Amino acid sequence: MVLEIRNVSKTYPGAAQPALSDVSISVPAGQFLVILGPSGAGKSSLMRCINRLVEPTSGQVFFENKPIMGDLRAIRRQFGMVFQQFNLVKRLSVLTNVLSGRLGYRSVARSLFYSFPESDKQIAAECLARVNMEHKAFQRADTLSGGEQQRVAIARALAQQPKVILADEPVASLDPKIARQVLGYLRQVAKELGITVLCNLHQVDYAREFAERIVGMSRGRVVFDGLAAQLNEEVLNRIYYATAEEQAA
Amino acid sequence: MAVGVSAPGIDLLEDLRARKRWRLHHIALAGAIVAFLAWCADGVNLRPGEVAGALPAIGEYFARMWPPKWEFSEVLWKPALETLYIALWGNVIALFIGLPLGLCAAGNVVRSRLVRNTAKAILNLLRSISELIWAVFFVAAVGLGPFPGALALGVNFGGILGRLYAEALENIDPGPVEALAATGASRLQIIAYAMLPQALPQFVTYNLYWFEVGVRSATVLGMVGAGGIGFELVTTIRLFEWRETGVVLLLILAMVTVIDLASTYIRGRIYGS
Repeated sequence: MVLEIRNVSKTYPGAAQPALSDVSISVPAGQFLVILGPSGAGKSSLMRCINRLVEPTSGQVFFENKPIMGDLRAIRRQFGMVFQQFNLVKRLSVLTNVLSGRLGYRSVARSLFYSFPESDKQIAAECLARVNMEHKAFQRADTLSGGEQQRVAIARALAQQPKVILADEPVASLDPKIARQVLGYLRQVAKELGITVLCNLHQVDYAREFAERIVGMSRGRVVFDGLAAQLNEEVLNRIYYATAEEQAA
Repeated sequence: MAVGVSAPGIDLLEDLRARKRWRLHHIALAGAIVAFLAWCADGVNLRPGEVAGALPAIGEYFARMWPPKWEFSEVLWKPALETLYIALWGNVIALFIGLPLGLCAAGNVVRSRLVRNTAKAILNLLRSISELIWAVFFVAAVGLGPFPGALALGVNFGGILGRLYAEALENIDPGPVEALAATGASRLQIIAYAMLPQALPQFVTYNLYWFEVGVRSATVLGMVGAGGIGFELVTTIRLFEWRETGVVLLLILAMVTVIDLASTYIRGRIYGS
């Protein structure tokens, strides 16, 4: 198992309901795992509990059989992250955005001069080539379309040379054709590089199409864990329409 | 179900009536503001009638400035240039004072409340004392000339720009900040790669605008001996050399206009791209 989430719970300060209650998921290396669920199911919180952008209230996450703790910089660079809103720095060039994926490996002093070693530039160029965006390396990020921006964001995550990519609703703001293309790139590069992918989605058809395995979440709990083929009407009802009482029963 | 469909329409009208009732409060508030202003008018000894009476006298002053004594501009170009230098270096000093303090005062850059409040307190102090008062202090400290003028502008504008920088930083999109935190970037790297690039165009705009303001301000700093064209302005007024005063005022108008046009052009280029 590359990643083991054990009994993770999270209650935000002042919130009445927990965002995550007792979530446990084991992820073998190289898997393309889709976490499926409606908005507010806790998918984003779960991802952020893995790389500690959010501190879990209880429970633990194990990465390659070691608990995630200590030096956060060293931990976070193992997890590439892709976001719904792409989160590129719009005024910087595509290349600089991808290079910023290398920051976790570099000394603060040198990077403050916006200077990167030759080896980093090579890595960035390769990552851009993998998503077919090398021809736009010197354009400003805000000149790109949404789909192109998300491909650059994937390249930034790849530049970290991560073991795992956490994709949080990566195609929620893209049209269906571009969404399939972006998910296709994500699946392809992950396969080529042996990267494990956890991908949050709320669209059932994308999940069926791309997932090797689907974990269904509702109200902060795991309510389904299986193959895409097992995703029947009853399961979808459990994920999308279950009331709190039905869930408890 | 039928009730459910029609109910929102009824509620909306009800709501609208409730909002209309609120307008009474607005009228009461407006009345209170007018009353307060009237009360303050007494405090400033407001006499609008006398302004009308004084208009011919003011017109007469300006009439005396005509025709401007153009030869005087030969003496003026040097202090005029000095005024621009003061505004320019005042802004550079303001940048060096405002940027570190602005970074420390921005809530998304610095988490420590103590550091933030200290930076804000310093910025408030620098800002609340006008550049003319600072100029008096600096003339006493480093002597007459343009240097205390630039220092005075730098300190006061540093206080203003620092606050504006902090606001620009607090208004950036937090998404890229989270994205870089997720790559394992350190705090300083996040500031350099996600925060500053987003806030930079705002910074440039503020600096250009305060350069304009600086030119206007630098024209009066001469009154307290802090260099620039203000010294000539006051001297000609005191000596009743109205035609010379006219030249000084026209020159200030020309300088401010040119800088205004230039900075509008530069701002357009920054945001147009």
